[in-house]
Amino acid sequence: MLQVRLLILFSSALLGTGLVAPTISIEPRAGEFTWLVVLWDEEATETVTYSIFGAIRDLYLMNNFFLALVLGLFSLAFPVFKLSLYWLATVHPPNSSSLGSLLKWTGRLSKFSMVEVLFLALMILTVKALPGGSEATIEWGAYLFVASALGSMVVPMLLEKPIEKGAN
Amino acid sequence: MTMSNTTDSDSPKRPWLHLAIPILIVGCFAFFFLLPDKMKQGQENNSPNQKIDEGSSLRDGENYYIFASEIELFSTNPKGDPWDAGENGPDIKYRILWKGNQVFQSEEKDDSLIADWSGLSIEFDWSDLGGKTISTDEAIKAARIRNEEEGVFELVVEDEDAVDDDLAGRVEIKLDELKVGKNKRKLSKSTTNAVRRINVQVLPQGSSLKDLVELMR
Repeated sequence: MLQVRLLILFSSALLGTGLVAPTISIEPRAGEFTWLVVLWDEEATETVTYSIFGAIRDLYLMNNFFLALVLGLFSLAFPVFKLSLYWLATVHPPNSSSLGSLLKWTGRLSKFSMVEVLFLALMILTVKALPGGSEATIEWGAYLFVASALGSMVVPMLLEKPIEKGAN
Repeated sequence: MTMSNTTDSDSPKRPWLHLAIPILIVGCFAFFFLLPDKMKQGQENNSPNQKIDEGSSLRDGENYYIFASEIELFSTNPKGDPWDAGENGPDIKYRILWKGNQVFQSEEKDDSLIADWSGLSIEFDWSDLGGKTISTDEAIKAARIRNEEEGVFELVVEDEDAVDDDLAGRVEIKLDELKVGKNKRKLSKSTTNAVRRINVQVLPQGSSLKDLVELMR
């Protein structure tokens, strides 16, 4: 059980860092008229780097409450809740009925284990499809975020092992 | 079927408290990572303001963009004669001389007694729509002058003619009399001057293009 707890703690640390670390850099371009935009508003063409947390905050500040809520739900609340539930499962004695019901829940959650990563990928894909040659670069925070999601994907498998051993 | 040795009574008394552990770890790592960023931001905010401070005096040793945003001439030339043959108005242009050298020459404004210049202009052909690189220096139509102790520059206003340019007036301007932004000057008619009014714009060279554009528009 110790290794599961360590994995949860490690995934939590990766998630915490991944949420505030640079995730995506956007280099805005206006195609052939980029030089004109540079001249008129130099700041508009400067590369902007977002973290997931920063993107949620900016969306909220721009009154895009729906997008802020969706992004917050899938990339912040859902992974944190998942890790918390996994941790709770580790403090229950093996083969107890409450652990069984918790594992049912974690099993349900593991079906959506990569949803936050898919959401991030969708966001990057959307930016990459922007017109005018705008470029999006994935930063190291995105890799930490994905690593955290992968870590939390392994946890339910390790949690189920003691149950299987007990059943045998 | 195997019976479990463990009962639910061995379960933690306050299981929901355990939920907080990963939340705390996530929060702590996020906070510690954000902290240096916030400190950096704070330092940046404390750095001197680079914005154009309109109305402030010129700083010694700093370079400034200087141009005439508006020039008005009297209805007749210094000799009291009409500007051009017939009823045509003067074709106004001006030059800026600093340390005896011409450092800037404006475009000519046809048939006007009041001429204005924006200080910002982009020249491009249709072929440039395929892509053109333009620097800030190319776009700003102004003299670059450094403010030095007892520094002066000369503004020469002329009426451009086909044969020879006629002098409308020569104005010597002391740099320490100027402020950042618009400087208005009224002049009286004489045998050597037919310039009624000059508005001189002074902008610090290190300013952002956005600020310059705002003031030059």
